[in-house]
Amino acid sequence: MSHIDTSAYLNRWRKKSLAEKSLLAFGMLLIAVSVSSWQAALLVAALMIGATLFGAGVAFPLWWKTMTVPIGFLFAGVFTLIFQVQLWHIGIAPHGLELAGRVGARAFAGLTCLLFLALTTPAADLAAGMRRIGVPAEIAEMMLLMYRFVFLLTDTAETMNAAQAARLGHITYRRHMKSLSLLIANLMPRALARAHALEIGLAARGWRGELRVLSPVRRASATGLGVILALEVLVLLFGLYTS
Amino acid sequence: MSLLEGRALVHVYPGNVHALDRLDLRIERGRRLVILGPNGAGKTTLMLHLNGTLRPQAGEVRLDGQLMGYDTASLTAWRRRVGLVLQNADDQLFAAAVAEDVSFGPLNLGLDESETRRRVADALAAMHISHLAERATHMLSGGQKKRVAIAGLVAMQPEILLLDEPTAGLDHEGTEDLLAVLEELERSGTTLVFSTHDAELAYRFADEVALFEGGKILAQGPIAATLSDADLVKRAKLDTPFLLRLGLRARELGILGADEPLPRSAASALRLLDLVGGQSTL
Repeated sequence: MSHIDTSAYLNRWRKKSLAEKSLLAFGMLLIAVSVSSWQAALLVAALMIGATLFGAGVAFPLWWKTMTVPIGFLFAGVFTLIFQVQLWHIGIAPHGLELAGRVGARAFAGLTCLLFLALTTPAADLAAGMRRIGVPAEIAEMMLLMYRFVFLLTDTAETMNAAQAARLGHITYRRHMKSLSLLIANLMPRALARAHALEIGLAARGWRGELRVLSPVRRASATGLGVILALEVLVLLFGLYTS
Repeated sequence: MSLLEGRALVHVYPGNVHALDRLDLRIERGRRLVILGPNGAGKTTLMLHLNGTLRPQAGEVRLDGQLMGYDTASLTAWRRRVGLVLQNADDQLFAAAVAEDVSFGPLNLGLDESETRRRVADALAAMHISHLAERATHMLSGGQKKRVAIAGLVAMQPEILLLDEPTAGLDHEGTEDLLAVLEELERSGTTLVFSTHDAELAYRFADEVALFEGGKILAQGPIAATLSDADLVKRAKLDTPFLLRLGLRARELGILGADEPLPRSAASALRLLDLVGGQSTL
């Protein structure tokens, strides 16, 4: 969680406009899942990996570390497509390999699109973007506060976990589970106390029920959007041609 | 007339804990005041009364001699003039990026966008953290968070800035840097009030001290004179600052004249020692 966030703030494309980044990510995602050509899916994946690693400058080890878990799920899911179960035996399904390959390629391409967005755009920017396109302010504010509290609470949980380990709270499986339940039970009142303290802190700054801040506006350039659209049309044509 | 004044403030917590027991406190414009008392004396409770977060069960708070009310309009006016920095910076920061967070207060004051941007830039510059403007709040160090929290209030340009244990959790350099920027802030016209349990720090930094213990201000006055009263200091469960003891002893021994200033920093205390060394070689 935390390394995704770090990358979102420190990558080269942090200051690119949200519109450009989301057009690229969601446009490519749409092509990958709607066009049946596996060649197009691989092209999308290659482009998005290129954009993430060479465009935004995300380090490969970090990209790979974030990718391993979803790839694991993807592999497990696709693997089962190869086989078919009949009454008395399990066998390779007709076209099973081909089907697995197609689905796998498209899902992988979709992953690269979402990962691109996650690694280049802070969650707070996404929340601000949602507010701009008409999502109610309350929901966007809730997202913002949850985002902020996730880090405070994970820090607290990590500290408590270390403190429990230091007093041998994890010595057996039973103790470990007991300690974990205590930790979870203790996080609740802490979270409430934190929320109360934050309310006092915000009141001291003149808060009257609305969390308004000045977000830096990053204007999307017409050329940027144009280039992305043109690229997507080319990929789409390639996909239609090869399918 | 005091700038901000608490009169006979009473606050009793459940369990009959008398946090404030008919407490009187005066804050004068431009006088750096420290509220000095042991842990658990109720310093935070007092601070929360001074900006209207908590309402006294008896007694009153006056700003420029005016009795303060607790309706929304009064509280808004009150907090516009009196800023409070909480001890834990995380309780005050909520936005994802530094500049966004600092913009929160000015926008609540109803300022327009260009004025808000100017205030944010000025506040960040005043706290020497302009380079952090775009950084994520949760990736900052403790000292940086503290400065962002203070900048958030400085951007509202309050007349009085209340700081609850501002140096808690800061290392030596963090403390020195913070005190230095606070001094700059004072020169631009903000009255500083801070609470601490650290008598040494208080003696170095404040003009005036209010000794706080048992829900009361035991004494309020110029810091050297007030802390020279050993009996009073003991009643406040504190210890006389070492630098003050040194200075008083130097006066007793005649090394320092009665009207010469007492040393307030390690450097000036060392100069005193040089003086003695110089005499003995004569």
